Amino acid sequence: MSWALRRRIVLAGTIPALLTARAATAQAWPAQPIRLVVPFAPGGTTDLVARLVAAGLQERLGVSVIVENRAGAGATVGSEIVARSAPDGYTLVMSNIASHGISPSVYRGRVRYDAVTDFSHIALVITNPTVWVANPRAGIRTLQDAAARAKSPSGLDVATSGAGSSNHLMVVRMGQLIGKELNHIPFRGAGPAMQAVIAGQVPMMSDSLPSAASHIRQGSVIAVAMASAQRHPAFPDVPTFREQGFDLASDSWFGLSAPAGTPAPIVERIHRETMAFLAMPETRARFSELGGTPGDLTPEGYADFVRREVAAWAPLVQASGATPD
Amino acid sequence: MDLVANLAHGFGVALTLNNLLFCLIGCLIGTAIGVLPGIGPVATISLLLPITFGQPATTAIIMLAGIYYGAQYGGSTTAILLNLPGEVSSVVTTLEGYKMARRGRAGAALTIAALGSFFAGTFSTILVAASGPLLTQVALSFGPADYFSLMLLGLVISAVLAQGSVVKSIGMVVFGVSLGMVGTDVQTGQQRFTFGIPELSDGVGFVSIAMGMFGIAEIILNLERPESRSVMSGKVGSLMMTRDEVRRSIPSVLRGTALGSILGILPGGGAALASFGSYMMERKLSKYRHEFGSGAIEGVAGPESANNAASQTSFIPLLTLGIPANAVMALMVGALIIQGIQPGPRMVEAQPDLFWGLIASMWVGNLMLLVINLPLVGMWVKLLAVPYRHMYPSIMIFCAIGVYSLQNNVFDVYQTVFFGIFGYLCSKLRLEGAPMLIGFVLGPMMEEHLRRAMLLSRGDVMVFIERPISATMLAIAAVALGAMLLPNLRKGKDAALAEGG
Repeated sequence: MSWALRRRIVLAGTIPALLTARAATAQAWPAQPIRLVVPFAPGGTTDLVARLVAAGLQERLGVSVIVENRAGAGATVGSEIVARSAPDGYTLVMSNIASHGISPSVYRGRVRYDAVTDFSHIALVITNPTVWVANPRAGIRTLQDAAARAKSPSGLDVATSGAGSSNHLMVVRMGQLIGKELNHIPFRGAGPAMQAVIAGQVPMMSDSLPSAASHIRQGSVIAVAMASAQRHPAFPDVPTFREQGFDLASDSWFGLSAPAGTPAPIVERIHRETMAFLAMPETRARFSELGGTPGDLTPEGYADFVRREVAAWAPLVQASGATPD
Repeated sequence: MDLVANLAHGFGVALTLNNLLFCLIGCLIGTAIGVLPGIGPVATISLLLPITFGQPATTAIIMLAGIYYGAQYGGSTTAILLNLPGEVSSVVTTLEGYKMARRGRAGAALTIAALGSFFAGTFSTILVAASGPLLTQVALSFGPADYFSLMLLGLVISAVLAQGSVVKSIGMVVFGVSLGMVGTDVQTGQQRFTFGIPELSDGVGFVSIAMGMFGIAEIILNLERPESRSVMSGKVGSLMMTRDEVRRSIPSVLRGTALGSILGILPGGGAALASFGSYMMERKLSKYRHEFGSGAIEGVAGPESANNAASQTSFIPLLTLGIPANAVMALMVGALIIQGIQPGPRMVEAQPDLFWGLIASMWVGNLMLLVINLPLVGMWVKLLAVPYRHMYPSIMIFCAIGVYSLQNNVFDVYQTVFFGIFGYLCSKLRLEGAPMLIGFVLGPMMEEHLRRAMLLSRGDVMVFIERPISATMLAIAAVALGAMLLPNLRKGKDAALAEGG
C-alpha cells in the first residue's frame, strides 16, 4: 500500500508540473515533462521510433517524455508547431526525410519554416530502406505484376504515409520508370495507410521498412520489393528493385530536432543520452529487427546532413514533378 | 466452451492481487483526470507510463486501460453537474444530464451513467472475447466511401433531430464543418481560413469550443437569471433512481450498448460517433421523446452506455491488427513494444495471458468504476449545494487552467472566451450547440475520406452509390432529411406568408 501511495504522490507532483509548464525554464534542465512531437499519425515508423526514443530518454533524463501526434501536410504541420515553440528544451520534434528533406520542396511556398535555420538539430536516430508491400489477395507478387497492373485500364493505386514523404517520391519515380503514372493515395501516416492495404482498399503501399516489418512477418501483407542496393539482412528473401529491373533505391531517415536557439548544453545533453540509448544492445537488436541502422552523427553533423538533404531533394522533386495534390 | 475456458484463464490473470491493485489505481486516476477539465488521458498515460516499467506487461496494460475508461467515466460527472464536457463523447451527456441536474435529479443521472456504463462494459467485454477477430473483418469492410457516407448520415441525423428549427440546425452543422476546415489542409498544406493568425494554422481547439459553447455560455446565462440560480442550489433531490426511471432506462441502455459496440470497432471517432448516435436514436425511438430537452433520463442512459461500449470495442483493431486507432491506443502499443510484445493477429496465440487477462480486466475495471463511483454520487451531488456565487468563479478558473495547459498558450484561453460569448448568443437565438460540435468533429474526417474515395475511384462519384454500405447510409440520410425538411419548409413558408399577409 505504501508503494501505491508513493506512486500517487508522484502523480500529484506531475500534474501541477504539467499545469505550470514553462514557468520553470530558469531551473536546471530537465525540470518538467518533455513533449516529443511526431508529425505523422500513430502506427508509422516515425511514431514507432519516437516511442522507443521517448522511453529511452525518459529513463535517462528522469522526466516524462510525452509523444504527441500532430499529423498533416507531409509532416509539416507538426514540425511548424515545434519551429514556433519556445527553445527551452521541452519541445522536440521527430524530424524526418519528409518534414526536413522533401516536403519543403513539394509544398514549396506553403511550408512556413526553414528546415535548416529554424531548428537546433540534435541527433540522427535511424536510417532504413523503403519497401513496397502488397495485400496478399491483390495478385501482386513482383514489380512486373505491379507494372502490368499499372498499365492496365484500371491502373495501380499505391498508398503512402503522405505527400512529401520519400515513399511518395518512390511512387512518382516508379511511375516514370514504368511509363504510366501510378495513382498516389496519401494518408496521414503509415498506420492508417497500412490498415487500408490490409483491408484491401488499396492493393499496394510504399512504406518505410520499420513500420512494415511486423506486418510482413505476420503475413498480413507481402513484401514485393526492397528499395536498397543489396538484399536487406533482416529480409533476405525480399528481392531488390534493381534485381527486378527497376533502378531505384531509397533510404529514409528520422532524427531529433528542437526549435532554433535551444541552449547548446541542452542540445548536447539530449544528443549524448540519445547516443547512449542507441548504443544499448537491446536498442541495436530492436533496430535490426525493424530493419533500420542507428544514426551516429554529432549535432553539427546532423544539421549539415539536413542542409545537404534539403538541397539535394529540391532539384529531384522539381524533376519528378511531385506535387501535394 | 473454449470461450469460457479462455475467460476463466483471463480472470485467473486479472484477479491476482497485484493486477487488481493496478487496475484500481488506474481507475482512480482515470476518474480524477476525467473530472478535471483539460487534462486528457493521453497526457496522463504518458506521464504514468514509466511507473509500469518494472511491472509485467499484463499489469502495465491493465492499469493503462483502467485510466482510459476511468477518464471516460469521470468526464460525464462534470458534464452532468456543471455542463462542462471535457471530451467529445461527454458533450452529449450535458444535453440531458445537466437538465436533469437542474431538475434535482443529478443523483439519478450519475447513477444511471454508472450503471449503464457497467452494463455496456460487461456486454462489450463478452463481445470482444467471443468475436474480436470476426469483428475486425467488419471494420475492414468499411472503405473511404463508406466512412464518408456514415459521417454524412451522422451530420444529417444530428441536424434533423436537434431541437427547434431544422433549417437553423443545418446551419449550425454547416458552421461547425466550416470551423473544422480552419487550419492547414492535411493534403496540400494550404492555409485555410486562418486570416494570417499563426495559432489558427493548427485549427480551432475542440476543448475551447466545447467548454466555451457549453460551460462558459451556461455560466453567462445563469448570471442573467437570478431565480434559476436559487433553483439550482436549492434542489439537490433524491439520490436514488425512482422505479419509473429504472424502467425507462433499460431499453435505452440496451440500444446504446448495441450501437456503441458496433461503432467502436470503426477506427477514428468511434466513441464520439457512438454517443451522438445513441442520443439521436433515443430521441427518435424513446416513448418519452417529448421530454427530451428538459432532462430525459434516456438521453443520459443511452449515450453513456454507448460510449463505454465503444471505448471497449475500440481495442479490437489494436488487439487483432496491431494498428492503433487513436493516440491512447498508440500509447498502449508503445507500452507493449517496450515490453517486447508486438500487438497483432498472433498476439492471441503468442501471449494468451496478456490477451485474455486484458479482456477480463476490462470487466474488472468496469466493476471497480461502479464500486468507486456509486458511493461518490452523493458527494458529487453536494457540489450543487455550493452557492453559485462561489461555484462559477471556480469553474471559470478550472476551465482557464485546463485550456491553457493543453498547449501552454493564452490564445486557447481567448478562443474559449470567444466561444463562450458566441455560445451565449446562440442560446439567445435558439441555435443549438451540439449539431455545430458534431459538424466540427466529423467535418475534417469526412473531408479526408471524401478525398480518398475520389482518388481511389479516379473522380467517379458513383462510388458512393455503388458500394452497398455507402448507398444504404446515403439512402437513410436522404429519407431522414426529406421527411423532416418538407413539413418544416412548408411550415416556414406558411409562417412567412402569414407574416407577409
